[in-house]
Amino acid sequence: MAPEKKKPSLRSEIDRCVRCGACMAQCPVYGATQREGGVARGKIALTRAGQDGRLAAGQVFRFHLSACLLCGSCTAVCPNQVDTPFIVQAERARLAAAKKTGRLKSYVLRKILPSRRLLPALLSGARFSRLLWASKVPKESGLHIRFLRGPGGERHRIPKISRPFFIERGKKKAVGTEEVDVALFAGCVSNYLRPQAAGAALAGLAGLGASVIVPADQGCCGLPAFGAGETQAARKLALRNLDAFLPADGHWPRYITSPCASCVYMLSKHMVELLSDDVEVAGRAREFEERVVPFSALWLKLRGDSPPKTALGEKRGPLLTYHDPCHLAKGLKERDAPRKLLTSLPNARFTEMEDADRCCGQGGSFCVSHYDLSLAIAERKLDSVLRSGADILVTECSGCLLQLTEALGRVKPGSEVILTSEALLRFGEADPETD
Amino acid sequence: MLDAGLLKEIGSIVGSENLLTAPEELVLYGYDATPAAEVVRPDAVVLAGTAEEIAKIVLLANRTPFFVIPRGAGTGLTGGARPIRGGVVISTQRMNRILRIDADNLQAIVEPGVVTEHLQKQVEAQGFFYAPDPQSMATCTIGGNLAENAGGPRAVKYGVTRQSVLALQAVLPEGQLVRLGARTLKSVAGYDLLSLLLGSEGTLGIITEATLRLLPLPESRRTLLAVFAEVEQAAAAVGATFRAGVLPAAIEFMDGNAVRCVEDYGEKSSSGLPREAGAVLIIEVDGGAGDVERAAAIVERVMREGKAGLVKLAADAAEAESIWKARRAVGPALAKIAPLKVNEDIVVPLSSLPRAVAGIHSIAEENDIKCAIFGHAGDGNLHVNFLANPLNSDEVCRVERAVTEMFRLVISLHGSITGEHGVGTTKQKYLSLELSEESIDAMRAIKAALDPRGIMNPAKIFPERAEDGS
Repeated sequence: MAPEKKKPSLRSEIDRCVRCGACMAQCPVYGATQREGGVARGKIALTRAGQDGRLAAGQVFRFHLSACLLCGSCTAVCPNQVDTPFIVQAERARLAAAKKTGRLKSYVLRKILPSRRLLPALLSGARFSRLLWASKVPKESGLHIRFLRGPGGERHRIPKISRPFFIERGKKKAVGTEEVDVALFAGCVSNYLRPQAAGAALAGLAGLGASVIVPADQGCCGLPAFGAGETQAARKLALRNLDAFLPADGHWPRYITSPCASCVYMLSKHMVELLSDDVEVAGRAREFEERVVPFSALWLKLRGDSPPKTALGEKRGPLLTYHDPCHLAKGLKERDAPRKLLTSLPNARFTEMEDADRCCGQGGSFCVSHYDLSLAIAERKLDSVLRSGADILVTECSGCLLQLTEALGRVKPGSEVILTSEALLRFGEADPETD
Repeated sequence: MLDAGLLKEIGSIVGSENLLTAPEELVLYGYDATPAAEVVRPDAVVLAGTAEEIAKIVLLANRTPFFVIPRGAGTGLTGGARPIRGGVVISTQRMNRILRIDADNLQAIVEPGVVTEHLQKQVEAQGFFYAPDPQSMATCTIGGNLAENAGGPRAVKYGVTRQSVLALQAVLPEGQLVRLGARTLKSVAGYDLLSLLLGSEGTLGIITEATLRLLPLPESRRTLLAVFAEVEQAAAAVGATFRAGVLPAAIEFMDGNAVRCVEDYGEKSSSGLPREAGAVLIIEVDGGAGDVERAAAIVERVMREGKAGLVKLAADAAEAESIWKARRAVGPALAKIAPLKVNEDIVVPLSSLPRAVAGIHSIAEENDIKCAIFGHAGDGNLHVNFLANPLNSDEVCRVERAVTEMFRLVISLHGSITGEHGVGTTKQKYLSLELSEESIDAMRAIKAALDPRGIMNPAKIFPERAEDGS
């Protein structure tokens, strides 16, 4: 997650690692395993050995590469800011191209996710798909991508599919009072599982005067596919979203945002990279990236950095705490905006938890392919959450939301985890009637 | 190579899940933090769980024989954990429990895999203080700190790791599980084998438990920044501070090049240090609140009298943090300038500091190499960084020449070629610059007496001889 737009070559990025081991202090996987293969320095050493022809990509190699959350915690503490997520992703892409990823996982990422019809169809036949997946797919296969948490049973909780999906509920539009127009990217979780999060984002932005549209033709942001090394699938999605939001011969919105910061990360960091080889669209991709803003940052931008009206005096309402999604805090270096949003809410109180930016262990398909490890990482997170004494945990990434809902539900049934957009709607002054 | 039967035996000692033999794992434990060092694969890796397991494996190593290479977190800078002759790497990372924090006796009993900073946080929560603070403390482990006798900024007041160790449990090279030292502040019962193991770089035994000395957590601390036009002024101010009766908890030094590196390449940590500075001192005093105020005032006066152009006493913790940030930013900033940074940690008597810094600067100039110096001025320990592009072989050659010349200079000033990083593999060829042949032979005799089969961490510290090298 290097700040530069232009990606360096894989080799030069690998060579910038001096193996000092500073990444060991923050890597969630290393924290749970204490194994050199878990940490960035180790994964880079393996990749380097592979590149030099001194190591074949055997089973253990693939295991260590798959056991990475792409959270960027390593980059954040690295003296050289080595972009390990980039290295791991590139190496996964190489393995995927050489067909070293599981066939089923590969099929889902290549065929189902980019498809306009297959994914909704699969989800609407959720019972069927659960049965299908439960009977056909071993948990280790990694088929269960983030919003299809798996086949149920004693270990997984499956979030309920919500029909109708957010995007198919008729044309969404909110007309604000000011000349700012925003296009809302729902993201898969908001679209299929949690339409209220996208609805809340729509309402919240409209409440600040923006005119918001929800382009109907949008798809998945492509992060699960990209992270898994399925670059072609990610590219297809990038192209589709580009056409949906910045049509070659239509109106371009001033801002693009999403209730999910991981989608925002993908859309603002990798569009150009994925589409750079296509001269016709590369320029538009750059325009696209420049318009993408995290939800809380856009809220802050539209509202202005004025002190909240009701800041003084004793506030009432539930106590909120905030979990920094890695893609927002480390990937996009945005830590202030969500906190400003939460502390401005008139009908809720806020408390900071310890290690708020410690990774929750979700990591896209990581939480499925490395289920136990993922939960072990989440447990350390839960300690801080519980110690904070908060009533409601707020975050800004739907991956974190699913992970924390499941993990927290195990130790404290009934606990609530919500997104910043939802917190804004519930505890702010925004008009809840916009949907 | 180890045969299948032997691997099975090792597996039965530690559990097969803690014996790693896949080629990938051998790569992963074939390096430490030594700059530009090759990966050298061991034959197997053991993730040890107990002292008894380690003792059994070392016994087996003597019987077979095979080499054993102790490993902490692999953050050493001189190759101490590199399995350069193959063999079995024994990692103590899994042994990471703090067994007891003994408030009555001011001690902590820990396993070797405890991360140094983790221990510090745990004891500080109870009002105690574990002083050694190597720069890698967020990741390095106690076992490695002891084996390397690590230092850190606070060494000027609290000593290096040696001064914080009371007793050890260790596995000696022939597999004997022994206890050394005593859980008391003093003990002169027999030879001081405890000290012999500390800093032995894993060549004389594997530390399996340590009793560490704790101190009451200082009530208060203050941080000062002093900027000088000349290195000589800064060095003189260090001596003047001691003569004024103050022993600071840290006196850190940055030369002008280091300052400019931070200013030019530091990421949002820009400290506002003047680019024209010749040298900067960061001084921290700690102790009881009243004493600290008094000491800070004295240091402030000494710095002004020592012709510091700028003296800044941090008003609060946030200001102190921003001063320390500049110091911590040096390493990363240097890394941005040059991919290869040869970081040597020489140490000289305090009075020789100005001559050492000036001499090193002129060596760098003569060899046409960029160089930045920072470090722990309070104890004369300087980190000299020669910067090079590893792809430029001529430049790498010139760096090597500069390093040798620098070591000669350091020895001529009655200094030492390593203050805290150890000899390992990278300084073997320079050891005889500092130690006489007789001294080195005496050390070899000790090694041979304790490790007659030469199985423990071979080919470290001592320069290669013709008869070595099996």
